[in-house]
Amino acid sequence: MMARLTATEAVPSRRRLPASALRRRQLAASAWLYLIFLAVATILAGTFVLAFMASLKVDPLERPFRVYFDQVNPAAWIDAARLGQEGAGDVLWGGLSPGAKVDFSVTYAAPTDTTIIEPKAEIPRRRPGSGIAAALTRYYAADYASIALTSSSSATMQVRDEGGILQAWQTRTFVYEITYRSDRQNGPRIERTPLNLTAPTSQTLIDSPISPSRAERRGRLLSWDNITPGALGLIFNNYRRVINETADLQTGKSLFGSWLINSLAIATGRLLLTLVVASLAGYALARLKFRGSRLLFAALIFSMTIPAQVTFVSNYLIFRDLSLLNTPWSVIVVFVASANVLLMKQFFEGFPREIEEAAIVDGANHFQVFWKIILPNAKPALLVNAILAFQGAWNDFFWPLVLITSPPEALTVQVGLLSLRRSFGGAQGDWGLVLGGAFLSVVPVLILFVLFQRHIVPTQFTKDIT
Amino acid sequence: MLSRPARALAAATMLLGLPAFADETVRISGWGGSEVAIVHGLLTNVSAEKLAKEGITVKYEPVDGDFSQFILNGLSAGTAPDLFYVDVFWARSVFSAGQAAPVTQDASGFAANLLEAFTYDGKLYAIPKDFNTLAVHFNKDIFDDAGVAYPSDDDTWTTLQEKLVAVHKALPEVDGLCIVPEYARFGAFALSTGWTPFDGQGKTVLDERFRRAFDFYTGLVKSGAAVMAADAGQSWAGGCLASERAAIAIEGAWIISALRDSAPNMNLGTARMPKDPESGKRGNIVFTVGWTVNAASKVSKAAAKVAELLTTEEAQQWVLEQGLALPSRTALADNPWLRGGQPEQMASRVILEGLSDDHVAPYFFGDVGGSWMQPINAALNSVILGEADADTALASAQSAFDRMLAK
Repeated sequence: MMARLTATEAVPSRRRLPASALRRRQLAASAWLYLIFLAVATILAGTFVLAFMASLKVDPLERPFRVYFDQVNPAAWIDAARLGQEGAGDVLWGGLSPGAKVDFSVTYAAPTDTTIIEPKAEIPRRRPGSGIAAALTRYYAADYASIALTSSSSATMQVRDEGGILQAWQTRTFVYEITYRSDRQNGPRIERTPLNLTAPTSQTLIDSPISPSRAERRGRLLSWDNITPGALGLIFNNYRRVINETADLQTGKSLFGSWLINSLAIATGRLLLTLVVASLAGYALARLKFRGSRLLFAALIFSMTIPAQVTFVSNYLIFRDLSLLNTPWSVIVVFVASANVLLMKQFFEGFPREIEEAAIVDGANHFQVFWKIILPNAKPALLVNAILAFQGAWNDFFWPLVLITSPPEALTVQVGLLSLRRSFGGAQGDWGLVLGGAFLSVVPVLILFVLFQRHIVPTQFTKDIT
Repeated sequence: MLSRPARALAAATMLLGLPAFADETVRISGWGGSEVAIVHGLLTNVSAEKLAKEGITVKYEPVDGDFSQFILNGLSAGTAPDLFYVDVFWARSVFSAGQAAPVTQDASGFAANLLEAFTYDGKLYAIPKDFNTLAVHFNKDIFDDAGVAYPSDDDTWTTLQEKLVAVHKALPEVDGLCIVPEYARFGAFALSTGWTPFDGQGKTVLDERFRRAFDFYTGLVKSGAAVMAADAGQSWAGGCLASERAAIAIEGAWIISALRDSAPNMNLGTARMPKDPESGKRGNIVFTVGWTVNAASKVSKAAAKVAELLTTEEAQQWVLEQGLALPSRTALADNPWLRGGQPEQMASRVILEGLSDDHVAPYFFGDVGGSWMQPINAALNSVILGEADADTALASAQSAFDRMLAK
């Protein structure tokens, strides 16, 4: 190294770079690194953001993928809030209640040589085809609402055609009033008010408070799933459906809540068990010298190489014989903590032996050393273990799927998500529900991470040093 | 489940000495999707009173995941419900393992060809709850816009194909049909030639007639009449029909509930399956599902009673009139609801007529079960994707059948 340095110094043309150039190079290097990190982060976060956007859409699978739609458009939020207010006096979640009087205006445009005719408006009786919604929907807006045209007005607008030439088009705005029928004033609050508008394809819808949910009949019919959504009802419709449409048929209670509670109970149980087993075993393997400890450690490492699928039949039969199937206990106790034990063992081995010896000199036994000296200082390792165990248990799919199959309210949230995939002819899924449920299931873990992430780094030792 | 007055009623009937089960709870289970509305509706609307009278409380658990996995798993672990659905194509594996108890003695009202598939060793192990056949469901608006005549009951394979090609030519963004490489749809074409899945010796022979149907089905994509469903971004033909990507879909009545959710206003028409141009005959596959009592159930008598109550003529009439499923009882075949003019009523009528097509076979493959279809599905897939020609694909399918059925 030294020899090469002197050799380069000997060549007069290879002078030392000036400080400013060096700094530029360093800056360029760190800029590139930064950009690469940014790109990776964008890709990782990007899929997350796109999935979240899709979870808000009426049709998450729509192609091409739009990035601008009603659910992310503040103007539509305001209109949705107004419609919700007029429909049920509820700005946030909307609906249609007795006394409702909703103004809904739509504007059609057409070239001057075609006349714009009044669309045929109807509140259809839209019956859910599948799932809990089909079983539990009792009231339909079609039975309680009436719709009437209150006014219409004409105007013109400038449109640029394919050749870039300005053309005058005519527009017509139709204002509809949807009311709760006066002869049924004692009726219930209805969650959704669907609307169908049928018009010739020669005229185009250019404006409405909220966009139609879908165009059907090759553009002849525009259909809204709910014209009184309220702001949150518009944005988070899929999320609301996750809660409402996973109800227990007998009690009408949402299953999603009990799935979350089950997952939480199982994850907590497994966390506690992991911490107890991992810290005790880790300490024993790190500090207690006993016959066969090396063999035990080797067996522990070896057990990490056995996939769960290998032991699944035997485990299953054991749980069956213990009558633990379909109980949370089976999922709590079926875990392999070898990785956690290893983590604790490595931590304990790095712990200064002198401190322990001092305690022993003072008359403490092994357990007291472990309980009073080691554990309080093992907080970072315990927290890392706790987070790994919790996250592992929360995201576990295989064991809950195998061990808990019924009743529906006993499932964990990850297995419950699977059941959100309704099947028609064995194929079609309701992806709005699946995505909404997936994001809801992320929330508790996210909250835990936000709460605990600052505890992960500082410890008694690092606090003293810094 | 039962309201307090219902419980009181049950108690009263017991005191009066009427036949009643001492307040037994029966767990029943089926798959989710559109079935939830059927079973829940029956339990709460139609059969509630009778169940109360019998002193039976029903706990209904729909399963939205993989139902056959759920039930086979539960049966071997002893956690299965007392009464559950069996699909005809895997029912045999439950019956032959002795996990099902024989059901009701009186099965006179049910269609004979449905009972046949649920009979094992001379005993009836499941009560058919409904059935399905295949039909041609079409979007009238697409045919109107393309200026092509609607599919009709008189269509043959060739005339239907010509119509689909004409639609695609007039409206390039629309395909005629989405196809899937599966026996469950292709089988209807193969059957119409007079080919049978099993010959007299119980062997599967992919003969000339099968070849003719195979060439027609796999040639649909090349002729411009069809597209693979996966290439249209859909997993089944109904998805293509709902999104107006395809003009027709060959499916059963289950498409009705799917369309209610994804295309509630479709101008739907339904025609019978096209005829084989050579034989002039129609073929069809019958799909059916039945209620089976768990042999290990502690309340098997009550469970059998529930199965009976859920398939009475009254119950099936309610299911039919709600447009939810087709009845397995022959007495309901000329129910006035089926003569109505609504698209759902017409579709149901055509599906019912499918039962009397010339060559009808149940979706059932003896002791081999669902894996019987594998060689045919693989051959369809490889030929449609252009990975193999028909000769090679069918030769390897034939040798797979020879191995499979040699035992």
